[in-house]
Amino acid sequence: MTEAALSPSASVAPRLGEDGLAVIVGVGVLILALVSLYGPDLLGWAVTTSVWTDPAKALGAVSKVYAGLGGAGALAATYVALLVVLSAGVAALGAEVKSFAVAFTVVFVIAYASWFVGSWAYVAAVTPADQAKFGVSWSLRLTNEGGYIVALIVGLVIANAFPRFGDWLKEAIRPELYIKIAIVLLGAFIAVTAAGKLTLASSLLLRGVAAIVEAYLIYWAVVYFIARKWFGFSREWAAPLASGVSICGVAAAIATGGAIRARPQVPVLVSSLVVVFAVVEVLILPFLAQTFLSSQPLVAAAWIGLAVKTDGAAVAAGGITESLVLAKAAAEGIAYQPGWMLAVTTTVKVFIDIFIGVWAFILAYIWTNHINVKPDSEKAKPSEIWARFPKFVLGFVATFVAGLALALGGAGPKLAAAVGEANTFRVIFFILTFFSIGVLTDFRKLWREGLGKLAAVYLVSLFGFVIWVGLIISWLFFAGVKPPLVG
Amino acid sequence: MSEQELRKELKEPAEPLLPIEKKLIGWSLGIGVVLLVLLAVINHFLPIS
Repeated sequence: MTEAALSPSASVAPRLGEDGLAVIVGVGVLILALVSLYGPDLLGWAVTTSVWTDPAKALGAVSKVYAGLGGAGALAATYVALLVVLSAGVAALGAEVKSFAVAFTVVFVIAYASWFVGSWAYVAAVTPADQAKFGVSWSLRLTNEGGYIVALIVGLVIANAFPRFGDWLKEAIRPELYIKIAIVLLGAFIAVTAAGKLTLASSLLLRGVAAIVEAYLIYWAVVYFIARKWFGFSREWAAPLASGVSICGVAAAIATGGAIRARPQVPVLVSSLVVVFAVVEVLILPFLAQTFLSSQPLVAAAWIGLAVKTDGAAVAAGGITESLVLAKAAAEGIAYQPGWMLAVTTTVKVFIDIFIGVWAFILAYIWTNHINVKPDSEKAKPSEIWARFPKFVLGFVATFVAGLALALGGAGPKLAAAVGEANTFRVIFFILTFFSIGVLTDFRKLWREGLGKLAAVYLVSLFGFVIWVGLIISWLFFAGVKPPLVG
Repeated sequence: MSEQELRKELKEPAEPLLPIEKKLIGWSLGIGVVLLVLLAVINHFLPIS
């Protein structure tokens, strides 16, 4: 989401916001990775975790060139690199660097430890063949991406059982920044995946348009009506609530609050609900998708993009859903190419994101000219569209175009290896996102008196309407379409 | 905003829907449904290959 959108007043944007920082870090990582196409391998030291039974053998450098580092060395190198880059980044955002560095160290340790636990064979092994390979008689079958769930749960425990510790970490709890960097990196990964099947990729892209129509024109209108007519909310509450449930969560609620000149507390309270419900969705929907939609992987992927609110939760849930669905398919002897489901989820989410500015302008125009008409009040200006445009999307498009151009130019396996190294960082930013979302999710807010009515609208709209309509639309446009098979 | 203020505010009598709000809801839904039907038709005649 755009940093302007995250400011209720949205009048003065900082010189470098989270979106700009995400683009710089994401594009920078990709450029360093791509150097290996023509010269030395600059990122091969990044740490990666294999499914393990012997913890000493779990960690390692992503490239064999750096095998000498060992797992601990790769982990230390990755931590130091992230610490330096992100500390410089948050300094540019105007944050307190020392507090960030200390908090980030703890966040990184806990988040990566969660990932490590999630890669334990008893958690991650999926098929009987995997179980036999690792010598385990049972497993939770969460795939190695079950580490995301572990990170989320650890974050939830901290937020709800140790809130003071959660507060102490807050300088490094930046899920929006982490997921935006991950999405920028995802552009190149999706491009390399799509290059092999361009016709399929472009067809899927066109289907993403349906998501925009659904989120802005169907969901928003219905949720606004429910909030106003059935629950008796004022316009000031109903509009941010409708955007929070319908579009992309926190940023949409805050952009709408700014557009209709709501008091800042209104979208902030709505946003706290958005995060809580997004976490509930992340914990439930991927497993429902695996159980009921594993025969329709791309329906499942689009559904997650339409149903889960906030970019972080949606794209991260897309990653879990892909690993769960692909694991189930693999157990049945079907080997789908990885990346396609995540590409569909991300495309749906990014398509929805890019129209936030337009929607905020439309609402601002209606509110300032027809609802809150004041002779001296400032009218909506078209420049708000750009001010609220999520700039990190430009980074996503840039890495996608660069990756596609190189793939179509015949860069081949070397490109796949280079993008794979960049993707290692994408996974780490996903882990940080999951942990951060958990730490920000205080379930006690649902019991806060007064918020129950807001939660009721959210609950009714999300579970009574949004996820089902999302499922129907996803089915309508993606049923019968399967990701390409491996090989 | 304190809990009491929030509770009091959320219990205030509902504001009736203005004609412009009805128009916004109606036009959104109308255009949305038409566009979805159009996209579904395109999807039918140009299936994903």
